[in-house]
Amino acid sequence: MAEATTAPLGTDVASASGEADAAQRVKPPKLHPLLRFILIRIGISLILIWGVTVVTFLLTNLVPTDPVAAILGDRAAADPEIVAQTREKLGLDQPLLVQYFTYLGNLLQGDLGVSNQTRTPVLASIGQVFPASIELGIGAILISVILGLLLGLLSALKQNSLVDHAIRTLSLIGISAPTFWIATVAYFVFFFRLRVVPGAGRLDPWITPPPKVTGLYTVDSLLAGQMATFANALGHLILPSCVLALFTIGLLTRFSRSSVLDIIRLDYVTAAKAKGLPARTVVFKYIFRGALVPIITVVGLAFGSLLSGAVLTETVFAWNGLGQYAYRGATTLDLPVIMGVGLVIGIVYILVNFIVDLIYGFVDPRVRVR
Amino acid sequence: MRRLTRNFVAICSTLALTAGLAACGSGSDEAGGAGDTIVAETAFNLKTIDPHRQFEFTGSTIDSAIYQTALEFEDGDLTKPTDGLCSFEMSEDSKEMTLTLKDEDAKFSNGDPVTADDIAFSFERLQGIKGNPSFFLDGVKVKKVDDKTVTLTSEEPNPALPYILPNSSIGIVNSKVVKENEGTTDEKDGAEQFLNENSQGSGPYKVEKYDADSQVVLTANEHYNGPEPKYKRVVLRNVSAETQLTDIQSGQAQVAYDLNSDQAKQIDESMGKISSLPSTRSLYIFNNADEKIGGPAADPNFRKAVMAAIDYDKLIDLAGKGSQRMASLVPNEFVGAVPKDEAPERDLEKAKKLLKEAGYDGEKVPFHYSSDQAVNGVDLAQLAETLQAQLKEAGINLDLKPAPSSTQLDGFRSAKQPMGIGTWGADFPDPTNYNVFIPGGDVADRVNWSDDPKLKKLADEAAKAKGDARDAAYAKLFKATTDTAVWIPLVQPVSTVAVGSSIKKFVSNADISFDFAKAE
Repeated sequence: MAEATTAPLGTDVASASGEADAAQRVKPPKLHPLLRFILIRIGISLILIWGVTVVTFLLTNLVPTDPVAAILGDRAAADPEIVAQTREKLGLDQPLLVQYFTYLGNLLQGDLGVSNQTRTPVLASIGQVFPASIELGIGAILISVILGLLLGLLSALKQNSLVDHAIRTLSLIGISAPTFWIATVAYFVFFFRLRVVPGAGRLDPWITPPPKVTGLYTVDSLLAGQMATFANALGHLILPSCVLALFTIGLLTRFSRSSVLDIIRLDYVTAAKAKGLPARTVVFKYIFRGALVPIITVVGLAFGSLLSGAVLTETVFAWNGLGQYAYRGATTLDLPVIMGVGLVIGIVYILVNFIVDLIYGFVDPRVRVR
Repeated sequence: MRRLTRNFVAICSTLALTAGLAACGSGSDEAGGAGDTIVAETAFNLKTIDPHRQFEFTGSTIDSAIYQTALEFEDGDLTKPTDGLCSFEMSEDSKEMTLTLKDEDAKFSNGDPVTADDIAFSFERLQGIKGNPSFFLDGVKVKKVDDKTVTLTSEEPNPALPYILPNSSIGIVNSKVVKENEGTTDEKDGAEQFLNENSQGSGPYKVEKYDADSQVVLTANEHYNGPEPKYKRVVLRNVSAETQLTDIQSGQAQVAYDLNSDQAKQIDESMGKISSLPSTRSLYIFNNADEKIGGPAADPNFRKAVMAAIDYDKLIDLAGKGSQRMASLVPNEFVGAVPKDEAPERDLEKAKKLLKEAGYDGEKVPFHYSSDQAVNGVDLAQLAETLQAQLKEAGINLDLKPAPSSTQLDGFRSAKQPMGIGTWGADFPDPTNYNVFIPGGDVADRVNWSDDPKLKKLADEAAKAKGDARDAAYAKLFKATTDTAVWIPLVQPVSTVAVGSSIKKFVSNADISFDFAKAE
């Protein structure tokens, strides 16, 4: 009986456990919320990137002019055979839909096409110029964040004082002064007159760039142990970074000021002060942390724009970055370059926004993924 | 609060200190000065340095230093073609040119000697790959006769050939190496990338690094058979004109190509010298001869009124010191140029009278131009606005239609623009290069100007003329062309090169604006 009882029981137990196993096998494993969030965002990002390819392709092809005109000289353009050959070589003789799917097919294989003007692969060129923009963008954003946040905080804490007025005026100048003019004047004053910074370019013309690892000259020269090249690269980085940072400093100062002023009047800050907490703790742990979320959004967007839109600064300082590359592509109607840069900039913004969303969670527990 | 202020000051001081240290460090002990390096700056217009494909200023500047040509211009005089790698002889009927390899010591940068095979291959590759400069040898048959001789035969008389061959687009390449790297004499040629990174010339320099976006570095060719260049390395950088001005004044660069006349004036003698030469470019107004497209511009009286309403002296002021009046589209230094004292003059009364005869009642005429282009420092947008104001004084209303260069060029080539500003840079310094402006020519087609029996007769006479008579015959042809006012010559600008004070001796002429190999 016992055996009988035991046996069915045993059978039942085994069966129950088998069912549970089966149930476990059927039910998908529960993903960590953060991982699920990341996967969903990656999926959305891929759809967005596809959207970017459609938009850049359509907009580029809507330009009411023939790219062949920008490639051929006057005499060659008058030769129908050369025109037809060029059109065929560039695939422009195909219907627009075929051109798009060819582009998309190549893109999936990591091929952004070849520049119509220089016949160099767009991906290789972007690989060459993008690190220059990243280096400049990082320099500018570091300066912007440090100075912008501190000035904004100082301005808010000393609201309506002389310091506040001075900082607000300066930030207004930073935002409204034309970059091209500022860059030209800064180059003239700090390089030509005062000689405190080196000339245009990423390195002095007679210095050989360090062996490429990251493409960032400051990093690569350190990796190669070339300290003099590192100093030279850093020296060349300072002035364009400062000029590029001016707008962002102004923006961040104003944004962080208003953000801090919103927080400073909240009850929990008053309570913290009433509890007799040290001023430093109140400022940095209560006020600043509370004001940080909107500031992070601005920093993220500013970084994206610094990476992609530094055309004028890059032009004055002969900084061969993505902005200059995009400008040349646009003015010469170099369609593969325009589409390639458009795609890269789209990806940069998507990536920056993604990172910003992740940082929100670390800074503000209220928006943490559960 | 005070602590925050102190922190802020500390951070600012740290940033300033970092900047200062980096700036001091950037004086560079690695560089050891730029003694044997010459730094030249220009706003790049560079697609390739494959000689048989390049057709832009930057590419031409680089290839002039890398490749030798079969013929050259004597001391840069564009009216005197002379021996280069070859001596030449032209047949009586100007249909056959015989080139004889002259310089047996000439060697490519890998040490290979220059041979007749290389010369024939270079010409045939230029023709066959159908690139921008292929038209230079249109209708020319290339034949290697023996190890020293190559003949060029044309079906029609081709007296312009000696003026064409010195062009850097017809540089002589090492045929053996180019063929080994997918070089062919037809459209299948695949040697462009190879030639961009591994030049195959016999000139004073060879390419060390090529980046079409930022800079090109040249180093001395140790096998060059001419005088050894003092500057062993040339760095040509892509830099905007504003920055070039500061760089030349500071000594950061030794050569700047793109300064306009106002910028050139700012250079103190102690900091640099300015070499001003007549440009080989012409600025003109085009008028569409088709009434449906040109509207008033198709009427000869209206066109002549425009010509009489322009204040040419003010245009010269705009173009800067050294720029010149033009009586035709042919630059004043070329064979076949119309003497500049025959250039049109301003006469507002005459203009108003002609407008009345044309029945023009002040309607707006679309006026097209490239808004992002400057020709030898002459900003086309500024020129268009100046012309609009001048013509307004005679009662002519221009409706300005600015557009980016590529869009404007496409519109002009499609022959759908009534009026606008055109520019033409000489492909080679011979009047036949301007035959495209005569009815039947490619550029005349763009203003729908297809027939003019008088000009056709003059063109036929000019084609048959020889020696001094040729000069006069072409001048007559182009004077008659100007009289139609389909093309209204505006100004021949000046080409300016700024040279830093560290260079004591240099050669700059109409053929090559700065010769790196001869700089000291």
